[in-house]
Amino acid sequence: MTGKPDISVPEGYFQELREKLEAIPARGAARPAFVKRVAPYLAYAASLAVLAVTGNFILRQTAAPAEEDTGWDYISSLAQSRDPAGLGEELGETYSLTGEDIYQYLVEGNLSLEQLETLRYEEDY
Amino acid sequence: MSELEQVFNGIVQDYSERLYWHVRRMTGTHEDADDLLQDIFLKIWTALPTFRGEAQIYTWVWRIATNETLNWLRREKVRAALRFSSVDAEMERRIQADPFFNGTEAQRKLMTAVAKLPDKQRQVFVMRWWDELSYEEMAQITGTSVGALKASYHIAQEKLRLNLSDGAVSK
Repeated sequence: MTGKPDISVPEGYFQELREKLEAIPARGAARPAFVKRVAPYLAYAASLAVLAVTGNFILRQTAAPAEEDTGWDYISSLAQSRDPAGLGEELGETYSLTGEDIYQYLVEGNLSLEQLETLRYEEDY
Repeated sequence: MSELEQVFNGIVQDYSERLYWHVRRMTGTHEDADDLLQDIFLKIWTALPTFRGEAQIYTWVWRIATNETLNWLRREKVRAALRFSSVDAEMERRIQADPFFNGTEAQRKLMTAVAKLPDKQRQVFVMRWWDELSYEEMAQITGTSVGALKASYHIAQEKLRLNLSDGAVSK
């Protein structure tokens, strides 16, 4: 083994490391380019998913009165609303989706941290 | 081989070993250092076409390496939080288990104590104590003033002094 007084590396490591690193140009930067291509689609899919979850939440919140008496008319009127923002206001809530919201959603989703970090730091350099 | 590839290979030849030791001190283990170093050089390769030569290549390469290392430390904190664990405990465990650590117990304690410093203090300490960079070089790399770096190093030393019971640690 070779190394510093207190830490070491496997024998021949630096030669292997240089060979691995010098192979990077041949491999190309395929992963970042791929992520860059799919990033807008991911953001779009995430915003649609947020809207779907929000809509589902609203319907679930209003489902209980619907089973009783006048609830059905209320849900029916909500369903006819074409503007999602107006729908939120009608329920006393406002939704303004930001990039951070989408990022948080992705954090809670199934994307790996590496993918998230690549998305977040891709524009750093 | 393109001109860009030649420049990149030159960077690999000139900096890979020195950056490895820096990253190794920051991450604590050989395995993590090896993984992170490949990410750093991938980033260097990706960013190389945008290198304008306003900074020295030395400063530019080190800046990418230090930024990526800080990003890695942040990710480690998130990973530890997701496991309901503390990153300090995680780092300590890894340093203890690193098969490529062959120093004394005092040196192991120092590495463990350094791993508990706040990220930027840790970076300053590693660059000065182990990498032996001058404050002027560190200032160029980090974009921080020499005075601020000296203060940061001094605070880091004081924290380590408090943390290490015997206080006698050699390189």
